[in-house]
Amino acid sequence: MDRMPATIDDMLRDILRDVLGLDAARAAAIDEDTPLFGAMPELDSMAVAGLLTEIEDRLHILIEDDEVDGAMLESFGSLSAFVRAKRAS
Amino acid sequence: MSGDAPRVHSYIAGGEPEFMLAYGPGNGPQVLILQPLFEEMNRCRLLVATMCRLLAERGIGCWLPDLPGTGESPRALEDVDWPLWREAAAAAAALVREHTGIALLCASIRGGALLDDAVDTRRWRFAPVSGRSLLSDLRRSALASGSDPLAPAGYRLSSSLSKKLQDADIVADPASRTIRIASDDRPADHVVDASPLWRRPEPARDDMLAQLLADDIHIWSSH
Repeated sequence: MDRMPATIDDMLRDILRDVLGLDAARAAAIDEDTPLFGAMPELDSMAVAGLLTEIEDRLHILIEDDEVDGAMLESFGSLSAFVRAKRAS
Repeated sequence: MSGDAPRVHSYIAGGEPEFMLAYGPGNGPQVLILQPLFEEMNRCRLLVATMCRLLAERGIGCWLPDLPGTGESPRALEDVDWPLWREAAAAAAALVREHTGIALLCASIRGGALLDDAVDTRRWRFAPVSGRSLLSDLRRSALASGSDPLAPAGYRLSSSLSKKLQDADIVADPASRTIRIASDDRPADHVVDASPLWRRPEPARDDMLAQLLADDIHIWSSH
């Protein structure tokens, strides 16, 4: 393995790129303030489901249904904060 | 190109005819392909068809059943239970054996791998997934859209199907070959660099991935 270990934000960007079919430039431009649910047209309800499952599988966390709400998916920053908190617990 | 067109067959499951496509020659290795389940089947349809065409060009026969309640099946998904899907996989395999007289192999993709132990043969699996994971995708999409939780994303599952699916997992088979994509760090015999096409909201094409998978099946089938 000669790759640099990816940060959580890098992994989340990759997941968004894969799930939403974003091109590399658009995925790379995602930062803390990028709004997600309701703002990205690709992020419909099926995509939300795929996003959560990919996060679980790649970041090795379990997400309960009652943890999923508008606030968690509001922006890339809020999603990243949620995942960090989960991984720390 | 009419010589390359897939042929339509039917196999019997639950006493009724079901739809199956066949690609390629009937005299080389024969592979039964178990497709992904639910929305993933649509998202991977082009990938699977491209892979079958590539295999056919290399002299490998591919058989692609639509399970009861999916694709071209005349049956409604809500009338399907888990044993019927298992019966269907076994019946499709039996038809291929009868039709070609050749020992067949089984290649499955995503949720299709949950059914491959119903077919007694060598198994190849691409990105196999648990039933629990497929069900939680369906449940979450209903939650996120506020749609009918009994028919998430339009898929109305019988309670017996969802109950069995919840516990369904890939059956361990040391002789099987498992391929995964690079972002998936679960155990695999081989890893390909590709993105998870089954997550894409719009049907996407990935001819490179179809080629990689066809190459892998081609080599595997000749061992």
